[in-house]
Order: sequence, then structure tokens, then C-alpha cells
Amino acid sequence: MAASSICPRCAHETVETVFTSPVPGVWDVLQCRQCLYMWRTTEPARRTRRDLYPEKFRMTPEDIEAAIEVPLVPPLLDPR
Amino acid sequence: MPYDDLRSFLETLDKEGQLLRVTDEVMPEPDIAAAANAAPRLGDAAPALYFDNVKGFTDARIAMNVHGSWANHALALGLPKETGTKEQVAEFIRRWADFPVRPEWRDNPPWGRNTMDGDEVDIFRVLPLIRLNDGDGGFYIDKAAVVSRDPGDPQNFGSQNVGIYRVEVKGKRRLALQPVPMHDIAQHLRKAEERGEDLPVALALGNDPVISIVASTPMKYDENEYEMAGALRGAPAPITRAPLTGLPVPWGSEVVVEGVIEGRRREIEGPFGEFTGHYSGGRKMTVIRIDRISYRTEPVFEHLYLGMPWTEIDYLMGPNTCVPIYQQLKQDFPEVQAVNAMFTHGLVVIVSTKKRYGGFAKAVGMRVLTTPHGLGYAATVIVVDEDVDPFNLPQVMWALSTKMNPAGDLIRIPNMPVMELAPQADAPGIVDKLIIDATTPTGSDRRGNFSNQVKDLPETGEWLTRLHQLAARR
Repeated sequence: MAASSICPRCAHETVETVFTSPVPGVWDVLQCRQCLYMWRTTEPARRTRRDLYPEKFRMTPEDIEAAIEVPLVPPLLDPR
Repeated sequence: MPYDDLRSFLETLDKEGQLLRVTDEVMPEPDIAAAANAAPRLGDAAPALYFDNVKGFTDARIAMNVHGSWANHALALGLPKETGTKEQVAEFIRRWADFPVRPEWRDNPPWGRNTMDGDEVDIFRVLPLIRLNDGDGGFYIDKAAVVSRDPGDPQNFGSQNVGIYRVEVKGKRRLALQPVPMHDIAQHLRKAEERGEDLPVALALGNDPVISIVASTPMKYDENEYEMAGALRGAPAPITRAPLTGLPVPWGSEVVVEGVIEGRRREIEGPFGEFTGHYSGGRKMTVIRIDRISYRTEPVFEHLYLGMPWTEIDYLMGPNTCVPIYQQLKQDFPEVQAVNAMFTHGLVVIVSTKKRYGGFAKAVGMRVLTTPHGLGYAATVIVVDEDVDPFNLPQVMWALSTKMNPAGDLIRIPNMPVMELAPQADAPGIVDKLIIDATTPTGSDRRGNFSNQVKDLPETGEWLTRLHQLAARR
């Protein structure tokens, strides 16, 4: 199965195949290189198709940029 | 007989009619999560689920809902499966008194037979990973016992930590982990990051059922989870050293993943449907690099569905949240009778207590807010009289409906700490907290018109036993 689809969550066009089904040709696990969303090609369309992916779960580059750190990286004890 | 691994517990569940094997072919998504979502709705004796015919996989074994009912929780503690909730909590309290029980070091763990190292690591080849909820950012591991040690005090066995945290799979050898600031691993990570170091971690998956219970118990920083497992099991917990990191891990696990949380690095993670019944994320979270995976031949992937409560996680961390709060209250207030902190890991806590004098119940409620776990949870505390069973919600509702006068019984304390996943907080981490005094005023507190309360007839207890016997003979 070709990793040709766009990311359902952020519409990024670079999508990578992470794993393929041990039974050949059944499914692939894909991952978006921008938002890191990961999905299996046989999941319901609401999780795999951009046009059906729910608005409330979508993510934009701005969302990623603005995401807070958990936990915050603390200052170094002994700055070099 | 305590269980030394998941497999022996699954055998017991099977014998007790508490393991449902789904032999028909299922889709990895949405079937397995949807079945585990549905399973607890079968009631107090809902079974665990076992899948081994999953489309596209040749070698998948997935166990879900292992702790997901009162019957299964009782069996995990070695109690008869009919044991009631309140009795399970009482037994938990009795066994806690035996803490600490030193673990037993063993050699040759069964998960030592197969390994992947360095660049050959591919977690997808070991675990049949699946998505749980629609909005999850990917495949999660949410029932692994994550082991870490204090980088400033590495030899201190007490401050080594075993906890369950949400872990997202980001790649063949890359994971994300959420260290909630109130949890011990966050303290370990902060110390490592202040030094500019990575934090070594080991993730043990597929464990004996008591390991999962202690790993989700709110224990103090210097209390060791394996020593608590020994107390709960009534026998030392079998552990061994993880081969790469040297961290102490369960001897009986199915899979042990070792690596490091990469110091001072954060990357987009989530969202993930959390134990609050709400999604949280995406936020920039820590990154784990996997350096080694050790696994049993034909490993069983034990996984946990969580969603709108109640699901398995509420059983897993229900009783074990009640016990430490009860112990800590009891130290100062022996009048406390029972604590029910089973709702969303103690965001609501119900306490029954005798009263020393007027206003006493409110003081007990305030003490709940300052217990170590109450600080980050306990958004609402309900205090009831000693004759109200806090595990009997109709009785609690009776207390609320007749004993509580909002004029004097609601105490609202502004801007208190709460864990950041609590959805009701305006600013994450800060919330107003509420104490509801639903006890009968006493002593110099003369509010209300309570006259005399109707008490159970003295003969009712005997009749209850007799009716049970009669009903059983029908």
C-alpha cells in the first residue's frame, strides 16, 4: 500500500510508512512527518481521511508551535 | 497463591469464568478498543478479554480489561471473586500494614530469551499495537510499569519508582512519556535535566496483577512499590535487574523495554483520551529512545482501554487511591471510619467520620485537601456521618439530601492546586476546591431540626444474614 495520502489531521503531504502488516498487503501503519499523527490504513474513515477527520481533533503548524512543554525543561544547575 | 506473572493470572481468570476469549477474527481498530470499552458495562463480574485472531497479524495475543471489574480486582488480590468493594478496600488496608516486604531477587527472567538491540529495535515487531480512541494521536502503551531511579540518589531503593504513565509510540524505537509534575518520575527527570543528563528508564509490560495495582497507587516518594507489592501479595515480589540499565524490573513480565528519556528534549505528543474521560494534548512532551527490547517467546500484550468512566482504569486505581488517604487521615483523626476516593482517581473523595465536637467534619475535609494525593486531586470532598457507608452512594445521597444546608455546609477554598489534566480548572493546575459537610451538626453546632434519626433496628443485621440464606436456598 503506497504512503501517498495526506495527513488526516494536519493535511501535511509527507507521510511515511512505519510498519506493514505481517500478513502481506492487509494494512500499513503511516505517520505524518509534521504532526506525528500515526494511523493504520484499515482504521475507520473518520480517522484516516482528511475530509472526514473531525474538526475538533485537527492540528495546524501553529498549534504545534504554540504547544506547551510538559514538563518545562528546567535551567541547568551548572551552565557551561 | 500469589501470581508471579500475567500468564498464571490469566489461567485463574479463565478457570473462574472471568476471561472471555474472542476467537472470531477482529479488526485491530476499532474492534479491540470498542470491545474493551463495552466490557465493564457487563457489570460487577465483567470478564477480561483475550484476542488472538487479529486481522493482518500472524502472531498477536492481546489481553484487555484484566482488572476491569470488582470480580477481577478481587481475584488479583487473591480474594474470592464475590468479595464486595468495601471489603476489598478493607483487606487492602489490612495488608498495607505489612509494608514493607523486601522483594526477592531472581535470575533468568523468562523475558530474557529474545532481544533486540540498538538499530534493530522495532517495537511494532514485538507488540500488536492498536489505537484506543478516535482522537488519540497514535498508538499508546498505557499499562506498562515504568521504572526509574533518582539520579541524585541512585542507590536508594526506596526512591526508585514504578509507575504507570501514558506512553505514545512515535516510531520503531521512539516513544513519548508524560511525567505529571506531581508524580515521582517527574522529580527524577528534573534532576537529570538539571544536570544535562538523560534519564534511564525501563518499561515492563504484561505483569502480574499486583504490580499494576501498586504502580498506580499514590505512594510517598521514598516508598518502594515492590515492597508494597510484597505486602499485598503476602509474599516477596520477584524482581530482577534489567540487562542494559540495571533497573529493578518484575521477573515475570512479558516484555521489558529499556532506554532513556532524552534530557532537555520535547516533541509534540497526543492528544490522548485520559482517565478524566476527556482528551488532553497536544503538548510538547518528553522523548524516549529505546535501546533494547527483551521479550518472552510469544509475548502477551496486556493493554488498557480508558474512556468515559467507568472503564478498567477506574477499577485499577479505585481501591488503591482510597487506602493511602484513609491511612493519612487516620493518623491524625482516629474518628475516620472509611474513605471512598474511587471517582476519577480521587477528584471526588467521600469520608465517613465520627465527630469530636462541632465543626470537626469540616476539619477532616480540610485535612483531605492537604494529604499528598489530595493536594493534586480532591477537588470535592464530601464528609458524612459514621453510620453512612461512603461506598453506598444511595446512602451518601441521603446524607446530602437531609444533612447538608448550603448556608453553613459548603466551604469553598479558592486557587488550590490540582493536577493539570483536571478539565474543570480555568487555568490548568489551579482550581477552587469544595468541602461539603453532610454530617449531622453536633456539640456547639446547633443548626438544623434533626430531632431523632431513624436507626436500623437492632435485629436487622441478623435478618439480613437470614434473608441471604433463604434467597440462596431458592
